Amino acid sequence: MQKKYKILIIDDSEEILNTYKKFFIKKNYSVATASNGLDGLKILQTEPNDFDLIITDIVMPNISGVGIISIVKKKFPEILIIAITGWGEHPGMLASEAEADLVLEKPIDLMELDKRIIDLIQSKTI
Amino acid sequence: MQSGPPIIGVSPAIVRVTDLINHVADTGLNIVISGETGVGKEVIAQNLYQKSPRKGKPFVKVNCAALPEGLLESELYGYERGAFTGAEQKKRGKFELANGGVLFLDEIGDMPILLQSKLLHVLQSGEFAPLGSEKEFKTDTWLIAATNHDLEDEIKKHKFREDLYYRLNIIKIYIPPLRERTEDIPHLINYYSQLYTSQFNNRNILQPSSRVLQKLSEYYWPGNVRELQNVLKRVLVLGSWDDIIDGFDYGYGSSNAVRQKTEQVQPPIPSSNNFLFQNGQAPDLESFSLKDIKKNALDKVEKEAISYILEKTGWNRSRASKILKISYKTLLYKISELGILPPTT
Repeated sequence: MQKKYKILIIDDSEEILNTYKKFFIKKNYSVATASNGLDGLKILQTEPNDFDLIITDIVMPNISGVGIISIVKKKFPEILIIAITGWGEHPGMLASEAEADLVLEKPIDLMELDKRIIDLIQSKTI
Repeated sequence: MQSGPPIIGVSPAIVRVTDLINHVADTGLNIVISGETGVGKEVIAQNLYQKSPRKGKPFVKVNCAALPEGLLESELYGYERGAFTGAEQKKRGKFELANGGVLFLDEIGDMPILLQSKLLHVLQSGEFAPLGSEKEFKTDTWLIAATNHDLEDEIKKHKFREDLYYRLNIIKIYIPPLRERTEDIPHLINYYSQLYTSQFNNRNILQPSSRVLQKLSEYYWPGNVRELQNVLKRVLVLGSWDDIIDGFDYGYGSSNAVRQKTEQVQPPIPSSNNFLFQNGQAPDLESFSLKDIKKNALDKVEKEAISYILEKTGWNRSRASKILKISYKTLLYKISELGILPPTT
């Protein structure tokens, strides 16, 4: 049994948040969610040492995913970030530029995403 | 540099904007501030700057809608001596002047598409070249842009570059129009009343009654906070809310607002009748004189105008003279000369 990882999911679609949340709770993750960048950032600031990884959408109200990646990489460099993009190459490229640990394109296969998360966390801890 | 104008309001939207500013002011990430004209986009930009580590460094503003394409380009990037006819001296661009500080690009939606490409290049590379220069210069500028356009709509119309849009929109700050946050109106009135009172010789703005406040929150406010500021200045001059409120067009842009029929005191408009016909009689050609007619007409118009303002100010002659922009002495003379009588009641 692996350690219980804690992840933060940020997406402005309620539906996606719920789907991800259900899936990752079943997979024995501890899950927090936020529907926009500002709320996500606030969660991080209240419990900065708690999270292993963030999954963020790119195009969102107030602070975009690219903004989140830039801020997190500066203020909480320990936390891994997966950016999920569905809007063509521009935001995806920006996410890579902002040094997201991984950029994935929609549609997302959740089983695959789970695998990539564990790979990322384990490659970091090794 | 003193601190910028404060953000006034208690509405959830304004509280949220303030919260957002506090969380992103130290990031230096590109920001787009959007909202209708007059909502205070520059105030937001100033606040971001004041709360950032760049405070005290330059804050440079460029209005992209105010300059034709060629001028805007040289304004932003500067030029070398001899870059074009008339470029007799090297000129530093705003990117250079804003180095280390903030470049506030107002009306970014109006930037011509060719200049958008150039701006994109600067944002990608962090370098710019003045016109006529072979060298690129590094720039460390925090870019804050503002627009009252729907940029996504402009992208669809091919008027705004999608790649530039995403690069600018790392953080979005949207300020809703005043009509959607009417709970802010009393707070704005309070703040600006105090500000203007000290600016206008300590004249006081009457606190609006609850009826007036009700009217103010039903109004559409197409010009938003800037329009409210102008209304307050007019209240200050006229000393009353009623005529201003009654003059509002409640039908503006709003489907559910009731268009109000209001009785208005008509401002004096010189009418051409009655200048020739004294007491309904045709003029006597013997004594006909253009000079007299002119004097007559002038007296009549002056009398109407002065009476109107006196009525508006409740016969406060000192205030009336200021509005009419004549001296107090002249006003007293005119009142007696033209036979203007105070209301008997």
